[in-house]
Amino acid sequence: MTSPLIRFALAASLALSAAPALAQTSLSDSQILQGLQGLTDSAPTMTAQQMRNMVQQHMSQYPGEALTRPSLALNLDKLPQINVQIQFRLNSSIIEPSSYGTLGSIADAMHNPVLHGYKFVVTGNTDVTGPRDFNLKLSQARADAVVNALVTVFNVNASRLEAVGLGEEVLLDPKKPTDPINRRVQIFTIGRMGPPPQPIR
Amino acid sequence: MRGFRILLAAGLLAASAVAAEAQTMSYGQAGALLAKSCGPDINKLCPTVNLGNGALKACMDSKISQVSQKCQADYAMAIASIAKRDAAQDAIAHICNADAARLCPGMIPQDGNLLSCLLQATKVVSASCNQAITDAGYR
Repeated sequence: MTSPLIRFALAASLALSAAPALAQTSLSDSQILQGLQGLTDSAPTMTAQQMRNMVQQHMSQYPGEALTRPSLALNLDKLPQINVQIQFRLNSSIIEPSSYGTLGSIADAMHNPVLHGYKFVVTGNTDVTGPRDFNLKLSQARADAVVNALVTVFNVNASRLEAVGLGEEVLLDPKKPTDPINRRVQIFTIGRMGPPPQPIR
Repeated sequence: MRGFRILLAAGLLAASAVAAEAQTMSYGQAGALLAKSCGPDINKLCPTVNLGNGALKACMDSKISQVSQKCQADYAMAIASIAKRDAAQDAIAHICNADAARLCPGMIPQDGNLLSCLLQATKVVSASCNQAITDAGYR
């Protein structure tokens, strides 16, 4: 049994494996644009607040050891999404300069007319190393840092973005909860901006 | 979306003769330039400061005498380029308004279909609109 999310991740890593080692941590511009487009009416509606609630509920429902509890399934496979590896300094929300280009590429996609009418949730995820509460705060601070950079440096409209820290609750590879692969920023396309546009006259 | 990319590719071919000048850097290129030219200085001088909210710029400015000439020049270029790209993208709606009304009437502009329409019609789109699309990096 492989969840659709894992299969998505596998497909993504397979797609990248042909490229040089550097590409393992960076999606191409077209992969970012493609990953974030195509939101359909049948996709589930999800808000940043709902995600936060799910995390809180999961944490109180499964207070046990990290290695014994299940990974939280957000069931957002139907939403357009990308997993990006943004490099942060150790135990900090400071984005490494090596990831500035990736942030810019995400902004390029969000400024593309194909995505112009959409809003997004930027989530931060850690692996299960370290205290659970610390990881929740760290992941929120990291998601905030990404959103701040997109808004204040790369001019993405702030009303299109929300940051959600998912802590160590949503693992990319639940079988390897301590694997660094679980540390990632995930971006979801969650809905349209404002009322539908008027026809061109 | 394949159709859109084919349209884009077709538009690119048609447009390459129209306007090769005044292209702006993409946001990704600007970020990569900043990382390449300023990464070492940032890691050395401002390692605990984040990129957003003007914090990094303020920190680097406060230590400007220790910042390499290359970084100073390219940091300014990256910021200027981002502003130029942003302005070019904002300007399209206004500059291409008449072309859109003439060439894409009745279209509900969403998901990039208006751009596809204008790219498809490149040969009959006004020079200023074609230039605006180029400057915005939408080819």
